[in-house]
Amino acid sequence: MSDNTLIHLDLLRLVYAYALILLSISLARFRQIGQERQILWASLRMVVQLLAVGYLLQLVFTLRSPLLIIMILLTMTGFSLQIAGSRIKQKMPGFYRIMGSSILIGCGGVTFYFCLLVVGYTPWYDPRYLIPLAGMIIGNSMNSASLAAERLAAEMRERSDELETALCLGANARQASEPILRTAYKTALIPTINSMAATGIVALPGMMTGQILSGTSPMLAVRYQIAILCAITASAAITAFLILLQGYRSYFTAADQLRHPPSSP
Amino acid sequence: MSSTASSPLLQLEQLTAVRPGPQNRPLTVVESISCTFRHGELTALIGPSGSGKSSLIRLINRLEEPLQGRIMLEGSDIKEMPPPLLRQRIGMMLQKAYLFDGSVLDNLQMPFSYRKRPLPGPDDPDITRCLALARLTPDYLQRDARTLSGGEQQRVNLARALVSKPQVLLLDEPTSALDRPTTDSLGQTLKEVCHSEKLAVIIVTHDLRLTRRISDHLLYLEQGRLVESGSTAELFAQPKSEGLRRFLVELDDEKH
Repeated sequence: MSDNTLIHLDLLRLVYAYALILLSISLARFRQIGQERQILWASLRMVVQLLAVGYLLQLVFTLRSPLLIIMILLTMTGFSLQIAGSRIKQKMPGFYRIMGSSILIGCGGVTFYFCLLVVGYTPWYDPRYLIPLAGMIIGNSMNSASLAAERLAAEMRERSDELETALCLGANARQASEPILRTAYKTALIPTINSMAATGIVALPGMMTGQILSGTSPMLAVRYQIAILCAITASAAITAFLILLQGYRSYFTAADQLRHPPSSP
Repeated sequence: MSSTASSPLLQLEQLTAVRPGPQNRPLTVVESISCTFRHGELTALIGPSGSGKSSLIRLINRLEEPLQGRIMLEGSDIKEMPPPLLRQRIGMMLQKAYLFDGSVLDNLQMPFSYRKRPLPGPDDPDITRCLALARLTPDYLQRDARTLSGGEQQRVNLARALVSKPQVLLLDEPTSALDRPTTDSLGQTLKEVCHSEKLAVIIVTHDLRLTRRISDHLLYLEQGRLVESGSTAELFAQPKSEGLRRFLVELDDEKH
């Protein structure tokens, strides 16, 4: 690695950087916007949280136990699932089981394919690669997963008349749900598709920018970015697909009946 | 012919159904109802709101599950049949006519696509037959289903329910959103289809005038129980129970 371009930020330079926050605070105070406390509090949180993560990562990067690293990844997934779940008001029956298993298969499968075949580093559990790559894949897929689950729950409720009409005409649960599954799948993949189409024009992706700043040549950074976007797309698609495939079933009984029929007058 | 016309096609035996009520306590919506339905007879299900009329017909095509009792279609328990096949033999029109995006023909093709059959074209006898039964002209086939009037939509709904050649047709307040003349003509069509196709038609309705004009039989429900049943003409002339008598008078008063 050509680390001759890498500038080490010492503490003094960080203090200079923090002076910019103080500038923002004094601006807020000067204009009597009354936002000083919020800016101060948020900036302190940022510093403490990032320092903690930094120490944690440094510790994790010294780990050589695949089991422990997998455990860390699972905990990360669990937390993000918890956050996603708390933001979704209408949850499908069996929400955490369905979301958890779909993310495990979708993100897990793609992450290992990506790490083993695309990047191809050894050992496969090297936390310096596995943790950030898996983190990006899980984080982006979680977004699609939440959208799929949310859309499915909303459409299943809003379109219950359509579902029952299809059942009455001899459709099974799968056939009746098909239009809803298509809508939910499309919705779930919109952010992923948009970020692929807009990348490089609207915004420079974070990973690529970071690599360039740390001395990687732009062309190599671009290759990494292309590869990770492919992985994110596949993982988002597989995860959303698995969620919908398991999710629609939870709205029906074994006898192709809606569990919560449209409320009768 | 007369022997098939009189043998019971559909038999409800001691049906009881519950649904979650306030505080999740089970609420009995249908209570040990037994009755039979025959080919070519139009039965009206009447009773106050919440008497279990809709719940009862939803049990018949197995949109909902009874707690106790069983339903026999031509002598076999409907639980033994795969629900999609059962629902082709027992058609149903829901209260809100939901028509799928697309043309009338697209809507009539849906039952075929569910059965994974080749889709019939506009000249296919399967299509022209049910279109004629619902008294719709062939030029309707290419029209956008969602832009039709309420009465026309219900006719498309009827035609679509007849596509699978059901033996039983269930209707949940099919005329509640229609005006008087449209209700009368749709009612007339239902009566003709029932008799010509030898269907058992069961219609839930609040419309006593319609009931009187088109139904052969009457079932009067109150709080989930079958209080009275018999021929429409007889029950209108001489209701036996106090409940039905009051029900007929009260609804009659509203009309004037």
